[in-house]
Amino acid sequence: MGRRSKAWLAALLLLAGVAAWYGFRPDARRTLGPPAGGEAEEHAGRCITVVEPGGRIVDKMARALVPGDEVITADGRHYRVREVRGDTAVAQLLGMDARLLAWDQELATGGIPVQAAGRTPEVAVYHTHSSESYVPSDGSAFIPFNGGIYRVGEVLTNALRSRGVGVNHDRTPHDPHDNNAYVRSRKTAVRLLKGNPVAMLDVHRDGIPDADFYRQRVSGQEVSQVRIVVGRQNPRRDANLDFARRMMAYANRLHPGIVKGILLASGDYNQDLLPTALLLEVGTHTSTREEAERGVALFAGAIPYVLGVGPAPAERPGQPEWSRPVTDPGARQAGVWRALALLILVGLAAGASFLVVSAGGLRQARERFRDLLRVEFGEFFRSPRPRPPDRRE
Amino acid sequence: MTRFPLGLVLLVLLSLLVYLGVLHRALDRLRLSDRAALAVLVAMIVGSFIDLPLPVAGVTATVNVGGGLIPLGLAGYLIWRAGTPLERWRGILAGVATALVGYAVGSLLNRGLVEPGGRFQWLDALYVYPLAAGAVAYLVGRSRRAACVGAVLGVILFDVFYLVWLKLSGVRGVVAVGGAGALDAVVLSAVLAIILAEVVGETRERLAGGPALAGRPRKLLAALRRPEVRREEGHRDGTPQ
Repeated sequence: MGRRSKAWLAALLLLAGVAAWYGFRPDARRTLGPPAGGEAEEHAGRCITVVEPGGRIVDKMARALVPGDEVITADGRHYRVREVRGDTAVAQLLGMDARLLAWDQELATGGIPVQAAGRTPEVAVYHTHSSESYVPSDGSAFIPFNGGIYRVGEVLTNALRSRGVGVNHDRTPHDPHDNNAYVRSRKTAVRLLKGNPVAMLDVHRDGIPDADFYRQRVSGQEVSQVRIVVGRQNPRRDANLDFARRMMAYANRLHPGIVKGILLASGDYNQDLLPTALLLEVGTHTSTREEAERGVALFAGAIPYVLGVGPAPAERPGQPEWSRPVTDPGARQAGVWRALALLILVGLAAGASFLVVSAGGLRQARERFRDLLRVEFGEFFRSPRPRPPDRRE
Repeated sequence: MTRFPLGLVLLVLLSLLVYLGVLHRALDRLRLSDRAALAVLVAMIVGSFIDLPLPVAGVTATVNVGGGLIPLGLAGYLIWRAGTPLERWRGILAGVATALVGYAVGSLLNRGLVEPGGRFQWLDALYVYPLAAGAVAYLVGRSRRAACVGAVLGVILFDVFYLVWLKLSGVRGVVAVGGAGALDAVVLSAVLAIILAEVVGETRERLAGGPALAGRPRKLLAALRRPEVRREEGHRDGTPQ
């Protein structure tokens, strides 16, 4: 081991010592625990405003956006964040989101629910940030291990069950409220996957201070709107985005204004586990929980149809594929095929690059590939014979 | 998933196949033969369905066989088979450092009201661990095995740290070490860290004209598997094979 490596080792050991002391010192519980009181106030003013280059406000959210993040508003405008200056993110309008509008138009011209599908599917609901609460109703923005968000999840569960959809509402806590909570909730999500759910919803609330930004009168009720979040760092994000678009278009057709928009944010949010996994932000911590509950109940009304598990619209000749429920065997989902093609392309490109790098050049890579075909496939069609010893052993 | 149309089913199946294929190739780089790598892979998949309870009063704690015990066993095997004592320490240190980086980035920097992932969330926590393990393994001596050991130990240590914190806090939490089985952060981090060490290390090494042989312990040199390197070893290092 060289001198430089030893220096790194020493530096890392020192760092380990300091961090171990920091993590387990007597007041570590406060440090690691869910932020409350002072810390909630510390972040209370944190709100990113997304604006067009001309200054027109597009959206507000309590998160650090990075260039490349995208927003699709409820009216179909598709923006991409170009640069972030302090608490302002400048986003460029990419145009109207064609797929969202097409789906919306189809719903406007027909789509009469006539029959319920004869299946008993299950939707999985869980909460990565299990301490999230609503200050006006719950008294705090965070209630450790038992946030008000569980009640919102319950309302969603009951609303779905009343429409004939089975729900597995998981109440596993993943405290504290941090980014590692997604690593912890991944275990819960995989456990839920074993029940073969048709969709998986991770229910949260936002953290912007302005409750009015989420407050809306929808279908005669004062509610908190719902924001759908899709992770950009998911290799199959196009499929999840397809589902998110359908959800927003149908929910807003059913109850105009119930979905605020779709945010494509830098993260995975365990959506790589299922193409119909979504993250929902129901209101913000300054909304009342009752508003959030009413909001999520209205949103729930749209879920069965989009999943094809409740009342479905009549089939009409020439019906576009995107008007079919996400689970319809006849639905050709462009996002899904795009994700598939991308997966194959990236796989092939990565394999080829790896081969070239590990073989030491293009010529050697070609030779290795030929060897591989000769040995693996040649032997497959030939009668069994003793294998030559593995040269790497 | 069985209720999905063909496109979605194909997408999920193909992703799983790619993941398992990459996992197999990654295991294959770790002093395991093709067959042993396949056996470990199958054991991980089967073990993903088995959770063993951990006797910790006050906390619901389990360890998954496929996502916790087998990767831990693999890390132990790699540490045991390490060429030199220093290499052993590198792996263990990479684990401790990975856990600390994961804690610092995922729990200290990215907490608070900011939704859905934290103020500085440019990267999902899931990808922080392999990056940290790969980087540490590279810094203390380029090594795929140290990267793998670092990633596995790092994520498991973080789970253990969480268990200790729950116990000290006296709250009734849930800890599932490697609970997501073959899809858990433990396995995913190990695979990505190996790939990172492989791609960065190999590319850099190739650009520099191959592995540096002079002054390396004989035990490490013996582990170099490439025939062309073995042939050249005597010539470049001046030592007989």
